[in-house]
Amino acid sequence: MADYEALKDQWSDIEDRDGIRLSWNTFPSSRMEASRLVVPIGALYTPLKETASPLLQYEPIVCKAPCRAVLNPFCQVDMRAKVWQCPFCMQRNGLPAHYKDISAEQIPPELHPSNTTIEYKLARPAPSPPIFLFVVDTCQEEDGLKALKDSIIMSLSLLPQYALVGLITFGTMTQVHELGYTECAKSYVFRGNKDYTSQQVQEMLGLGQIAPRANMQQQPGRPPMPIGGPGARFLLPVAQCEFQLTNALEQLQKDPWPVANDKRALRCTGVALSVAAGLLETSFKNMGSRIMLFSGGPATEGPGMVVGPELREPIRSHHDIDRDNIKYYKKALKFYDTLAKRIAHNGHIVDIFAGCLDQVGLLEMKGLVNSTGGHMVLTDSFTSSMYKQSFARVFNKDEDDNLLMGFNADFEVLTTKELKVTGLIGHAVSSNKKSSSVGETECGIGNTCLWKMCGINPESSYGVYFEIAGQGGPNQLAAGPQKGMMQFLTYYQHSAGNFHLRVTTVARNLSGPSGDPAIAQSFDQEAAAVLMSRIAVFKAEVDDGPDVLRWVDRMLIRLCARFAEYRKDDPSSFRLEKNFTLYPQFMFHLRRSQFLQVFNNSPDETAFYRHVLNHEDVSNSLIMIQPTLDSYGFDHEGGQPVLLDSSSIQSETVLLLDTFFHILIFHGETMAEWRKAGYQEQEGYENFAALLDAPKGDARDLIQDRFPLPRFIVCDAGGSQARFLLSKLNPSTTHTSQGQYGGASAQTIFTDDVSLQTFMDHLMKLAVSGTS
Amino acid sequence: GYPVAPQQQQDPNALGQQFQSMNLGGQPQQLPPQAQQPQIQLLPSDLIAAPVQAVEVDAPPPPIALPANLAATPSPHANCPAPYIRSTLASVPTTHSLLKKSKLPFSLIVQPYTSLHEDEAPIPVIDDQVISRCRRCRAYINPYVTFLDHGHRWRCNMCNLTNDVPQAFDWDAAQQKSVDRWQRSELNYGVVEFVAPQEYMVRPPQPLVYLFLIEVGQASLVNGLCATVSKIIAEALPRIPNADGRTRVGFIGFDTSLYYFSIPRDGSENNDPSMLVVSDLDEPFLPTPDNLLVTLSESMQNVQTFLEKLPTMFQDNPQTGSAMGSALRAGHRMTAAIGAKITVLSSSIPNAGFGKLENRERKDILGTSKEGSLLQTQNSFYKSFAVECSKNQVSIDMFLFSSAYQDVASLSNLPRYTGGQTYFYPGWNAARQEDAIKLAQEFTNYLSSEIGLEAVLRVRASTGLRMSAFYGNFFNRSSDLCAFPSFPRDQQYNVEVAIDETLTRPQVFLQAAVLHTSCNGSRRIRVMTLGLPTTDNIASVYAGADAQAITTYFSHKAVERALSSGLDAARDALQSKVIEILQTYKSNIGGGTGGLTLPGNLRALPVLFLGLIKNVGLRKSALIPSDLRAAALCLLSTLPTALLLRYIYPAFHSLHDMPDDAGVPDPQTGNIVMPPLLNLSSERIVPYGLYLLDDGVNQFLWVGRDAVPALLMDVFGIEDQSLIKQGKTTLPLLDNDFSQRIHAVLEKARDHKAKGVGSITVPTLYVVRESGEPTLKLWAQTLLVEDRADQGVSLQQWLGMLREKVVQ
Ligand SMILES: [Zn+2]
Ligand SMILES: [Zn+2]
Repeated sequence: MADYEALKDQWSDIEDRDGIRLSWNTFPSSRMEASRLVVPIGALYTPLKETASPLLQYEPIVCKAPCRAVLNPFCQVDMRAKVWQCPFCMQRNGLPAHYKDISAEQIPPELHPSNTTIEYKLARPAPSPPIFLFVVDTCQEEDGLKALKDSIIMSLSLLPQYALVGLITFGTMTQVHELGYTECAKSYVFRGNKDYTSQQVQEMLGLGQIAPRANMQQQPGRPPMPIGGPGARFLLPVAQCEFQLTNALEQLQKDPWPVANDKRALRCTGVALSVAAGLLETSFKNMGSRIMLFSGGPATEGPGMVVGPELREPIRSHHDIDRDNIKYYKKALKFYDTLAKRIAHNGHIVDIFAGCLDQVGLLEMKGLVNSTGGHMVLTDSFTSSMYKQSFARVFNKDEDDNLLMGFNADFEVLTTKELKVTGLIGHAVSSNKKSSSVGETECGIGNTCLWKMCGINPESSYGVYFEIAGQGGPNQLAAGPQKGMMQFLTYYQHSAGNFHLRVTTVARNLSGPSGDPAIAQSFDQEAAAVLMSRIAVFKAEVDDGPDVLRWVDRMLIRLCARFAEYRKDDPSSFRLEKNFTLYPQFMFHLRRSQFLQVFNNSPDETAFYRHVLNHEDVSNSLIMIQPTLDSYGFDHEGGQPVLLDSSSIQSETVLLLDTFFHILIFHGETMAEWRKAGYQEQEGYENFAALLDAPKGDARDLIQDRFPLPRFIVCDAGGSQARFLLSKLNPSTTHTSQGQYGGASAQTIFTDDVSLQTFMDHLMKLAVSGTS
Repeated sequence: GYPVAPQQQQDPNALGQQFQSMNLGGQPQQLPPQAQQPQIQLLPSDLIAAPVQAVEVDAPPPPIALPANLAATPSPHANCPAPYIRSTLASVPTTHSLLKKSKLPFSLIVQPYTSLHEDEAPIPVIDDQVISRCRRCRAYINPYVTFLDHGHRWRCNMCNLTNDVPQAFDWDAAQQKSVDRWQRSELNYGVVEFVAPQEYMVRPPQPLVYLFLIEVGQASLVNGLCATVSKIIAEALPRIPNADGRTRVGFIGFDTSLYYFSIPRDGSENNDPSMLVVSDLDEPFLPTPDNLLVTLSESMQNVQTFLEKLPTMFQDNPQTGSAMGSALRAGHRMTAAIGAKITVLSSSIPNAGFGKLENRERKDILGTSKEGSLLQTQNSFYKSFAVECSKNQVSIDMFLFSSAYQDVASLSNLPRYTGGQTYFYPGWNAARQEDAIKLAQEFTNYLSSEIGLEAVLRVRASTGLRMSAFYGNFFNRSSDLCAFPSFPRDQQYNVEVAIDETLTRPQVFLQAAVLHTSCNGSRRIRVMTLGLPTTDNIASVYAGADAQAITTYFSHKAVERALSSGLDAARDALQSKVIEILQTYKSNIGGGTGGLTLPGNLRALPVLFLGLIKNVGLRKSALIPSDLRAAALCLLSTLPTALLLRYIYPAFHSLHDMPDDAGVPDPQTGNIVMPPLLNLSSERIVPYGLYLLDDGVNQFLWVGRDAVPALLMDVFGIEDQSLIKQGKTTLPLLDNDFSQRIHAVLEKARDHKAKGVGSITVPTLYVVRESGEPTLKLWAQTLLVEDRADQGVSLQQWLGMLREKVVQ
């Protein structure tokens, strides 16, 4: 068998080139075989990953309808006849005239074996420049509002001058600011307690009237009708309305309606979002747009309210939801989900930036972001650098100074006949396209081969799941190993102004006769863990928590029972191959993670964590599932990875924990004492000072590219903030186990959770028993 | 035949009663009561043998004959003067049956204010807050009470109850010294104003609040209303009463959306207004709690800034249509907590939102029996909303500018029930200088007017009398209480009096009181007390009948009839009434001569009724748009008597041959002398003449077809008649005596103060060439009410017909 490390390198190369990781890199050739894999065949794919693949400035060569597969390195090309055969439908297609000069020596880039991923810049222009509609909550204290206003004003300098921008503010009511109006500040006001239909929004904003006067018709010498028609009064190019918008933002005051001491401010988030959707729906349909919601608190008014205005009424918790003891939840959820469907249908994105110590109702609103591929950023305040930097990173640009964001993507999956796609888990909605590539079962968003991602960026990663359709073994007639193939077509509005098509073609060997060990060897445990986590979280959104945990356990036990070596009923004989050994540990941490253990977090936090998990690639997802822990001590230079285990806590070390959402520096007892005594500032203690600095530097590196910016915590042993660390550690030394392992320096964790060791013991026992 | 001065005549019935009311209290300055009840002499006169002259229409009312020393003081002002209260009858029948037999109405024409500004007609103010009222009938102490018990008690002249004189009555608390009771204004004047103490207020006095609802859609851009009104208001702001610094203003623009304006205080960080658009008309709401109604003294600069910007804000507004009703609801919501005057400036029919109206006018039903329906309200919103406004002290004035049908009939309900007024400017256009100037002058008058706020009017009277009906623009809140969210200074009200019991005293008293907040924030009660003699003699009743007051009364009745039963019914009722009066007089008093006889004081009645029947509001015609009619009906039911008479019997002067003293100041009084009044008959017109026809709303300068070039040169600066601009125009002021005199005459004709009335109206001048534009000429001729025209009879035919009926 190939060396595991070599395989890992190979997968990593593929990931760099194609943005894809597969759970299995050899496909079983029969249904039967596939069903015994336990972990489904899946791909974690990052369509817009920044790769070295070439950008072609011409239209792709596609197979005949209905196949429409794109010419790729796996196609057989008859150079003389200028004909290529499509591996997906086996049809033969002629090459167009301008390919007449190709030969074995001179092949176009899309046929080059290394170009399994290629991107086309298409002739079709984007219908409009990118649109940014800021939806700003004014029910805030002055400092928060000020910081928020400043950040939005700052963002105007990050946007291309041609980008269209608009402003909606809300509190007790919703105001749509007419930026195209220069006589004075002008806004359209909607009441906060009414569910406006799209039609009403359109009428009330005066978007219904096209060319109200005869002389508004285009005439020679007059500028053409702007994009958005009458809606162009509200959304204008930055270059044109920067002054007006800056003014409007600077004039923005805290919601003027009085709020009694025992009340929450009236905040009509639902109406604001619905009006934003209506504004874009009428004039900017299918034009790449971001509705950026800045929420300073929960909706307390009108449709979509998540808590009443009475302060004595607390906002719902997981326990309330669990007990079905909630007043507004279902209604709000339904409202936002319906709205999300509409917005996704229109091709628009919703981003939610929450700046509030309390919850803002992300749980209810999550559909808006999840179905449209928006961002969710959860912070305590708009004054925090966590908010400011995260917000600024939304506008990151590539080398050509184009925003690193794509709009309105259509994502299609084609398969060869052995494979069928069963679904997708990630920030997308189904476009309900049936094809021969669509499988019978459903995993995630299924029953389609086409999905829509209103928002997509270079980090957006999607779990795509497959099943095996073939009944028998490989086709004996064909020479050499048979391959199963997939083609991922991502057609999207590039921020530079044209549509692009990204094509990734994946071909993997089909397994040989039953029991082919190549399948087990091709198992990528990291990708598998992430793909399984997505399924678990997807299930958790609809099923009860305990059911999901049981499912995770059962799948793990079955996988081990299938692929481990052991003698039946002898746990001590249990052995796993190298490419399986970490998998149980990932599952152990997944079970304990905030993704499945929700009760220690607020519903908003849960929605946020799950949202981020569904957006990230394999390595980031693994950090979330099993955080990394590095130790810094005098005995070694720099950080050293240590076990995510309570035994890693030592009094003379500094620990750096990265959970993706939190970056935590923890000073062991002695280190904390010394630091408090100020040794690091004294001569002769330079090494101590350096030791204190090292994790900070590494933390900075971690934060560098991360979105959203993680929460940064510095704490000491015994301090209250240390709980963030302790909750992540394997409780190898709990109060129940102390007698056995309790060392003087190790940290005892007060928890009833089982330790990894106990978990593994159980796992081995059950796996070898053959009962599952 | 002028009415003659009162003559002393013995009335045996009155004698005994007079002793009863003899004053035995210690009034040192009072003369002993006179033993004789003065009486008015009845002078019958034949209308056909001696035709009524135009000047008789303006004759003063019959004098009220009260004993000289009836009042507690010898003040000559003890009785309420005619401009404030005019009774249709200067002698009150003692019984209901006598009144019924007389066929005359008994009604008070009440006009509490005679000018737009207090200082133009000041009345005594009692500011020591000592208000003595009868415990039983709640009448205010007045010159006609009698003091008893060494001046410690007073007997009510209405109900006869004896009341204590309050301690403070003779003591000036401010100056800490006693005062001479007999100098107190309430014992010397028939019209006084009390400053009300705390107990007359249910809340602190309301500030003056003007909320302007301005139509900003296409119609108001095309006619220039939005821009003009912005400019006018900006310039008039300093003239809005604001003595107490509490006056507030607000603005809402409307088309099919509502536009609110938040105006910051002067000296704010940002002084620009912001516009908040609300298109959700289902239930209009306030888009912000801040700065929609601003205190003028704090935001004067920024309101000016806003008004400067307002026209450009809407210069490209493509919206047509009007959601005026929704704007009103929004305005009501904005002001209901404090009360306000809502001033609506609208250029089109409201066709969206609340109170949506249809264009229901069809040319083919004008002049038919169906026409009456056009004068009725087509949407119940207008009345029910007005009543709601009245409850919240919100008054509405309508300024209407449409060039097409606007449904004045429906819209005028808003002012009708809220103490407001409908001002109609048909076809107004700012591009026409005359229109712009007229609006500027009238609107400035309007804004400067010292209106009262949160007012109620109540009329009390001697035992046996009861107020039975009320006419005018207000809401009749209970049987005898009329509510006015704001009290205008240019309207008149009609209160009908019923005689429930036989009147046994030689005099009766009626007292009208207007409790209100002045626009300067002080709570006031204006009290008007009228004494009238009683009589059991029908001849005396006729001798004291006031033709002008009676006409005013029937003008109200005709409007009511027109709105309820249609125009034919209204005209028929007027005709029947005048016949009835003539017959009654003939059979009961006048005897059986062949002519048409009436006492001198009633001689103008038939011609005034003819004028009323031929007024644009009531005239039988298929050519009068219903908006014009409806607007005229508003005037017929609100104009003060002096203006009403002008409106139904216009002034007609010959100018080309006016006497030398006309058009120049009278050497004694300094007032411009008017040329003699002519009867409204085309027989008075000579082809070479120049005439003025003036109904108070319009002034027509009539240029005869043969007017000589020298005359034209003097007046118009043009010799060639065909070059004179017809229609609405401004007459040049030329450097010659004649031009200046004509200007003086036109100006004097517009002098409301001289007529003892308040009015914002500046009549429009039209030049009419006899040889020119026929429709204009026909229009001017409709003012010649003695002529036969269109479907109307001449005065001669009218009198002939009346005689026929009377003789039957
Ligand atoms: Zn094909
Ligand atoms: Zn009394």
